[in-house]
Amino acid sequence: MIEMQNITKYYDNFRALNNISLKVEKGEILGLLGPNGAGKTTAMRILTCFLPATSGTASVAGFDVFEDSLEVRRRLGYLPETPPLYHEMTVRSYLNFIGEIRELPGRVREERIGYVAERIGLGESLGRVIGTLSKGYRQRVGLAQAMLHNPEVLILDEPTVGLDPNQIIEIRSLIKDLSRDHTIILSTHILPEVSMTCGRVVIISEGEIVAVDSVANLEKNAQAAPAWKIILKPANDQKWREAIDSFSGARISEIRELPDAYEFKLELARGENFDEFFGCLSSKGAVFREISPVRATLEDVFLRLTSTEDRKEAA
Amino acid sequence: MKIFAIMKKELQSFFFSPIAYIVFASFLTIVGYLFWVILMTSKIATLEPMLYNAAFILMLASPVLTMRLVSEEKKSKTIELLLTSPISPFEIIAGKFLACFVLYLVLIILTLQYPLILAYYSQDFDVGPIFSGYLGLVLLGAAYISLGLFASTLTENQIIAAMVSFGGLVLFWIFGWAKHAFENDFGELLGNMSLFDRYSEFLRGIIDSGNVIFFVVFSMVWLFLAMRVLESDRWR
Repeated sequence: MIEMQNITKYYDNFRALNNISLKVEKGEILGLLGPNGAGKTTAMRILTCFLPATSGTASVAGFDVFEDSLEVRRRLGYLPETPPLYHEMTVRSYLNFIGEIRELPGRVREERIGYVAERIGLGESLGRVIGTLSKGYRQRVGLAQAMLHNPEVLILDEPTVGLDPNQIIEIRSLIKDLSRDHTIILSTHILPEVSMTCGRVVIISEGEIVAVDSVANLEKNAQAAPAWKIILKPANDQKWREAIDSFSGARISEIRELPDAYEFKLELARGENFDEFFGCLSSKGAVFREISPVRATLEDVFLRLTSTEDRKEAA
Repeated sequence: MKIFAIMKKELQSFFFSPIAYIVFASFLTIVGYLFWVILMTSKIATLEPMLYNAAFILMLASPVLTMRLVSEEKKSKTIELLLTSPISPFEIIAGKFLACFVLYLVLIILTLQYPLILAYYSQDFDVGPIFSGYLGLVLLGAAYISLGLFASTLTENQIIAAMVSFGGLVLFWIFGWAKHAFENDFGELLGNMSLFDRYSEFLRGIIDSGNVIFFVVFSMVWLFLAMRVLESDRWR
């Protein structure tokens, strides 16, 4: 449905995107994840025909964004970073205007405005002037604008920015619902958003794709070694550390002293015997209060993939 | 029609903001005052001096009407909405031009009370120059708005847009002076570009097709350039 091939974009001498290729299938929600300035917005602007790529090709629904820009734009709904609102208009007249430039005939327009307002929770605000709305409501109007003409493809640049937690949950479930008959790309730097809504994630950093995978796979692969969070009460204040140090494959970090116990993170190198390790510690008189596995979160993945030093080391 | 959607939206925002009302009020006050003063001093039933002054005041006022047309869209990022919608730069520019032109026409129509007053009270009243004068004023308006609209596509700063169009209009207004400065082909050429020289012929009751075509072409050139600038925003 959406395809980018070897897209490179320069702003004067600054390279915003470097040789990006990605593909989104029909009905999929793809999350573009990356720190600020990574090139998410630029990638979206290229797909929406707002900016041309310096090199490479992109297509939406089989139409080239450069050659058949009009056809592409007919099939797109786009929520830019800043919701494009006319502050002096009422929500209804704004959506009506959008319907007109989106080529919706009069009756369909009325119906869609009613339907979309209902879905997004704007029903009672239709008569209000956009300039008087709160940030969250403006964001909703922006979203309403993008889905008004029921486009095949939705491109949403940070759709939940400025919403309160309840609204965020509503909008996320709305986006999930929409994916049944829309193909969606959304960008965000909020990690839980990706895990909750997106099927697949593309992590971009400094204009390059550093990872493409499902959220679950990314988390799984991020784990270099199994890790546990452990709270234990040692019989003797120093001995337990020596015991741990005698295991060459064990590494402890994030040590915290609790009133009568210690909390720390344990990483065991692959191949190190878990049972033996714990057996040894309890034989030294340590009492375990808590042992819980630590799973790598998307945060870890993200940090690992996007922090520049790490990548330079890897290279 | 998408052109009319744009036009309707622009007209709405003209009347939502105080700009339209302020321009209307100050223009009508000045023109009313001029009509009265000129009539009282000359006692001649002619509109020529008033129309001449009206054109000059409109030259000052029209940049205020045109400055926000595209600049505002750039500033508030709504241009991103327009350029990613299935709407062409032609439709955007045409819609915006028409909206402003309609506003201008309303402004002109509101001054028709003065020829009506003259027609009612004066003994010998010549309709010809009034008609041609008003035609000139309408054509001149198209020229003002086109150049102003072009200036507005250049920047997201409304003040700069207003200043550029004001400077451009004044320049085209006084180009005629070159005719006396250099009495050669160059001076002639500049003189032919003068909005003032062309307009003053309408005031004298002459409708020269060359002058009509000049104003139409002048407007089209600026609108075309405005379209190209809008398109080129994508490439920059």
